[in-house]
Amino acid sequence: MTRTDVVRWPLTLALLVLLMTGCAALGVVLAGSSWWLVLLIVASVVLVGSAGLRRAGVHRAVVPLLSMGGLIVLLTLFFGGGTGLLWLVPTGETVTRFTDLATSGVRSIQTQGTPAQVLDGILFLLAVGVGLLAILMDVLAIGLGRPALAGIPALVPVAVPGFVVSAGADWVALVATAAAYLLLLRIDVHLRGMRVNRQAGGRGTGITGATGAVRGAIVIGAIGIVGSLVFSLSAPVISGGAFGSGSSSALFGSGVSQLIELGQDLRRPTAGPALHYRTTAIEQPYLALRTYDDIKGTSWLPRPIEVDEDLTVDAIASPPGLSERVARTEVSTLIEIDGVRTDMLPVPVPATSVDGLTGDWYWSEDTRDISSTDSTTSGQDYVVTSLELQPTREQLRESGGRYPVAIEPSLFLPMGTPEIIGETARIVSQGTPSNYDAAVAIQDYLRGSEFRYDTEAPVEEGYDGGGADVIATFLEVKSGYCVHFASAMALMSRSLGIPARLALGYLPGTRTNTVVDGLNQYNVDSHDLHTWPELYFVGVGWVPFEPTPGRGSVPDYAAPESSTASGAPEAGEAPSVVPQPNDNPGLQSGPADSLAAEEDELPGTLARIGLVALGVLLLLLAPGAFRLARRRRRRRLLAANRAGAVLAWRELTDTAVDHGLEVYDTLTARELADSIRDRPGVGDTPRVREALERLLVATEQTHYARREGAVVDRGAGLLNDLDVVMHALRHGSRAVQRARALVFPASLTSTALRRMGLAAGTPGGA
Amino acid sequence: MNAFPGRWVSESAVAGTSTVGMASRSAIDVDGETDVALADVQGAALAIMRNVESVIDGKHSAVQIALTVLLAEGHLLIEDVPGVGKTMLAKALAKSVDCSVSRIQFTPDLLPSDVTGVSIYNQAERRFEFKPGAIFANIVIGDEINRASPKTQSALLECMEERQVTVDGHSYPLARPFAVVATQNPIEMEGTYALPEAQRDRFMARISMGYPDPASELSMLDSRDLTSPLARIDAVVTGAQLRGMMSAARSVFASGAVKEYAVAVVRATRDDRDLRLGASPRATLQLIRAAKAQAALHGREYVLPDDIDSLAVAVLGHRLVPTTRALGHRSQDSALLIEETVRRILAATPVPTGSQGRL
Repeated sequence: MTRTDVVRWPLTLALLVLLMTGCAALGVVLAGSSWWLVLLIVASVVLVGSAGLRRAGVHRAVVPLLSMGGLIVLLTLFFGGGTGLLWLVPTGETVTRFTDLATSGVRSIQTQGTPAQVLDGILFLLAVGVGLLAILMDVLAIGLGRPALAGIPALVPVAVPGFVVSAGADWVALVATAAAYLLLLRIDVHLRGMRVNRQAGGRGTGITGATGAVRGAIVIGAIGIVGSLVFSLSAPVISGGAFGSGSSSALFGSGVSQLIELGQDLRRPTAGPALHYRTTAIEQPYLALRTYDDIKGTSWLPRPIEVDEDLTVDAIASPPGLSERVARTEVSTLIEIDGVRTDMLPVPVPATSVDGLTGDWYWSEDTRDISSTDSTTSGQDYVVTSLELQPTREQLRESGGRYPVAIEPSLFLPMGTPEIIGETARIVSQGTPSNYDAAVAIQDYLRGSEFRYDTEAPVEEGYDGGGADVIATFLEVKSGYCVHFASAMALMSRSLGIPARLALGYLPGTRTNTVVDGLNQYNVDSHDLHTWPELYFVGVGWVPFEPTPGRGSVPDYAAPESSTASGAPEAGEAPSVVPQPNDNPGLQSGPADSLAAEEDELPGTLARIGLVALGVLLLLLAPGAFRLARRRRRRRLLAANRAGAVLAWRELTDTAVDHGLEVYDTLTARELADSIRDRPGVGDTPRVREALERLLVATEQTHYARREGAVVDRGAGLLNDLDVVMHALRHGSRAVQRARALVFPASLTSTALRRMGLAAGTPGGA
Repeated sequence: MNAFPGRWVSESAVAGTSTVGMASRSAIDVDGETDVALADVQGAALAIMRNVESVIDGKHSAVQIALTVLLAEGHLLIEDVPGVGKTMLAKALAKSVDCSVSRIQFTPDLLPSDVTGVSIYNQAERRFEFKPGAIFANIVIGDEINRASPKTQSALLECMEERQVTVDGHSYPLARPFAVVATQNPIEMEGTYALPEAQRDRFMARISMGYPDPASELSMLDSRDLTSPLARIDAVVTGAQLRGMMSAARSVFASGAVKEYAVAVVRATRDDRDLRLGASPRATLQLIRAAKAQAALHGREYVLPDDIDSLAVAVLGHRLVPTTRALGHRSQDSALLIEETVRRILAATPVPTGSQGRL
């Protein structure tokens, strides 16, 4: 062997497939799938780059070092945030940034549940890891010629889920990785076989055997690639199912997940901006997204959305059961969406109309939830007119009488609801004169010092969720977050005969110093996601309560009479951008600042990587597109008889070059035609041979015959012949060649080089 | 290759003596010229080719070049080791055309006047009378031309260039068509006088026959055991037709691009590092003429760069002299080195296309 290695592209490709299938196994512990594409880019660049270096004859010992350099440049481009020289060369600043990223990555791995949101830091760590694994695999498989060993680094990402979640990696990923590994071994064996054949000078049987092996390798490779792709796309769903916490549906995108997964959003170390708004209301409103009033088995469920096309949002009926006696103010709120993407509209309740939306939005008669059939909240800004209700305690106390039929389901408690719920409710509400007083008592009980707000505890103790059993546990452990508090209050109220349901939405958010038209702007982010109970009072309607300690604000009517100031911070003061939302605002200022910067950069980095990837993709597609356009133009000219044999010949030459034929300007047309005829699939059929001959003669006549008198075929007649020959050329080429002709047409560079006079005019040395 | 039956009896070539075979026909000049359309040239040429190839097995390209040279009104030098059919080719070619053929067996003592002719005093008429030499024929076969003395060689070669003979102040035009097909043996050095470069230049092309492949050699054994195959072939075109074919070949169009290409190739031989002597402008002229003839041979009305390519070794090869350094360096046969060099030059010379080539 020489000191430089023989390039074996199939092996490189197999390594890439193996590594990426291995990485797909991470889908169990990581949310989304965009991170996989980023890793694919990193791994591709490293592996292909290494192969390219070997191809260029770089000494084998230097290849890993150069690959490492390439990896650093790539990381600087993706994660450097512009700190690098020309975005590429890392500087001292870049190092600092990388350290910060790594630290935050480690921290978010420690603090996040699964599936973890892939934040900047995690993505950085993943990219570094995959890049290093790729280099290691390249060295093992190609540098040292031990492809079998390359399976070991690929096992690293496969093994990670096993450490993090009890279920371990998904079996699909394991099977796909195994298939990819077999593919790698198969290709290695095949390549070794070819080398032996070549050394033995053997042809004959060796060739048929080789093509058979190639076919087999391609089949396995295709299965591996398709399998891993399918897996990576479906990974989040699979993992969701595995945890029994419901699927993370497409309904809620970044920022909002289902009620039950709300905890995951709250546990995120950094929050993404959800929306901002300005309002004329005196009290900053809660923004409701969706109502959960049905409890089945272990979880609260929203009503299925039934769209009634008549119920458009420009006029929403007055809330049911609201009597004229209740004081109200009509307020309007301008909401601009930042990051939240769902087909449910966050609005202050009760809304009476919404203006300025794009798409069709309808409100539901049962829940007054507003949803769209054809668009999402993405990029919307709209004005909501809503009522700010100020029911008095007396009005609530006096409420009584029959509940409307529509409300009765909200009294339902599932079979086998643990005793402790009803028991606790009775104890807490003992001696209260009215439903209202009972509700306030429950709220006060839950907000009391016994209960602790903690987003981690339910996960650690294994009672995450909002179902009846979970609430029973919660009432014992007395530690949880809004879902538990709200759910507990709703269930306890129901047990006392008060109709209750849950609302999912946003807290009022953080006041900013931005003032437009005399109104303060409020920023709401994903940490402001919240759940609260709504209780029904005849004559007033659905009335929200706030049982979660430390979150949101207790409405006036629900505040304990003795102390107007609850322990809750004012909504406007609560800094929400905290790594771990907790009760104590005093603790929040420290880490918030350092992480506030990161908050903006998370989508920024992803967007930048996306943009770079898109740019690279466009760049990669550009040659093919250009070539296609050129062919179309030529065919058009030929069809219109505006060009003749020479253009047809040029197109044919270019197509031949695209398919791997070497063409020099020292070749005569006839010599070129001969080599085209020698291509498989071209010379075999008389029809193609004749078409080629006609093209050739027409070209020769145009070039070399007398101008006058020569009957030269114009384009249209030649177009058919051209198509016949080009089709045969394509058909006879191997799939790889065809793909290369499509994506990287060699004719572009060769003609360009020829025009610049740089092309080697002669076949090298001969 | 002794005396042959049939018409060729009149030719009396006896090796070892300075013998001149006289023209088999008294009519030296072919009268008139038959109009031959370009399209018919191909057919006639094919007939000649078939005729010749019935006696020369497996030498298609040599025969084709020989015929090309004939059509281009050039002279052909066949150079090869003895016994590969040089003379056979020359004779078969000559016999395929119904015209006068003479054969000169060159020996060191052959005199120039044997070739050109001599003025003899006619006592009866009391004046000098010109007795034409062997050169006065449509096709002259010069066997082993390098065995003649330089003086005789130069007499022959002057006739070839000027197409006339001057004796005692009188000029006698040579026949039309007039073609010399000379053979020479490169191996035999004793008693030979290698043709000087200047004189090799007079030949349009040099070909070598090469050994036949086994199959051809085998079939030759069967067909030539008893009789000479030459006896079996007859003329397939008349002299007038040949002249017509020559005219048609001359009328073939050589585009500017092709001429440029020929010039580029020839010029490249002059600058090549392995060549001491490059090809002359006359070589360029002859290259184009040969290319035209080849185009005509294929029934084509225009010359292709491919014609230049396929003729370049034959037309240029014998005019080139390799440097001693290149020869010593490669330690190989001069002809082989030259062939390689010409092919290298062809492979390195860009092929121009017509100016209409923009679209």
